[in-house]
Amino acid sequence: MANDRLRALEEVEKEIGTVLQCAGNIILELSKEKHNASFLDRQLSQFTTSVNRVETELSNQIRYLTQVATGQPHEGSTYSARKDCQMALNRVDYARVKLGELGRTCEILLDTQT
Amino acid sequence: MTTQRILPQSKETLLQSYNKRLKDDIRSILDNFTEIIKTAKVEDETQVSRATQAEQDHYEMHVRAANIVRAGESLMKLVSDLKQFLILNDFPSVNEAINQRNQQLRSLQDECDKKLTTLRDEIATDLYELEEEYYSSSYSPWDSSDLPLCEAFHRQDGSDSPEDLRGLVGTSLSGRAGDGSGGISRGSTPGQLNGHGTATAEHP
Repeated sequence: MANDRLRALEEVEKEIGTVLQCAGNIILELSKEKHNASFLDRQLSQFTTSVNRVETELSNQIRYLTQVATGQPHEGSTYSARKDCQMALNRVDYARVKLGELGRTCEILLDTQT
Repeated sequence: MTTQRILPQSKETLLQSYNKRLKDDIRSILDNFTEIIKTAKVEDETQVSRATQAEQDHYEMHVRAANIVRAGESLMKLVSDLKQFLILNDFPSVNEAINQRNQQLRSLQDECDKKLTTLRDEIATDLYELEEEYYSSSYSPWDSSDLPLCEAFHRQDGSDSPEDLRGLVGTSLSGRAGDGSGGISRGSTPGQLNGHGTATAEHP
């Protein structure tokens, strides 16, 4: 859910780039002696679509934030779960170290016997 | 559909400023672009000479193009501010992200503990057999008077007197020269007995 909204905002950033790109292409085409009318039409329609899309999406996001924002700081955290998981991983490492020592001990004993 | 919320003044003012910035930037882009297209039209009659008019049009287009770019940059900054505001103040998604992360971490922890428990059960069996084999081996460096741990455990089942048990412990410990470990636990590694490795006893 969080990622969807952030991804939508990233799409808006790309659309803003498209708006400026289309505006530049139109002016560049108009600066030529012979204009390609179909190219101009395509770029203009894309420019208009992108501008409308940017305005709509950003308005929606601001409206959503007006509904959802409380002004209080969020006090949740994942610290306890992270700590428990870290201790579990430490237990696994410790078990691995001890098994390594046991293995080496067995090898040493086998070597002394042979 | 829209719920009436009483926001703090600062947050409400901030969101209103975001709206204003959005409207101003979009209007700036559209107006400046329209004016550039209008200025591109070639006029037959001009008040000043053609060269002067061309120079003026060129400068005006330059400024309007710069305005379009500035408005685009301002929109990008607005998007960045909205992203920041969303991350800090969108509580439903923050709660969901926290719950997801907690769930991932707990499942990883449960998996680690389950595997450790399985490992413990398997190694307990193997360790017992290894100890039996080691202490009953004819190549073992121990004296025949020393009591192996598995034997000590066997005898402990049969003998009830604490003195006997202490005697067994003392006998078995006297064979462990210089390792410093004092515990009789099935988890201690045989490597300690010869003075190799670390001299720590595991006490469950």
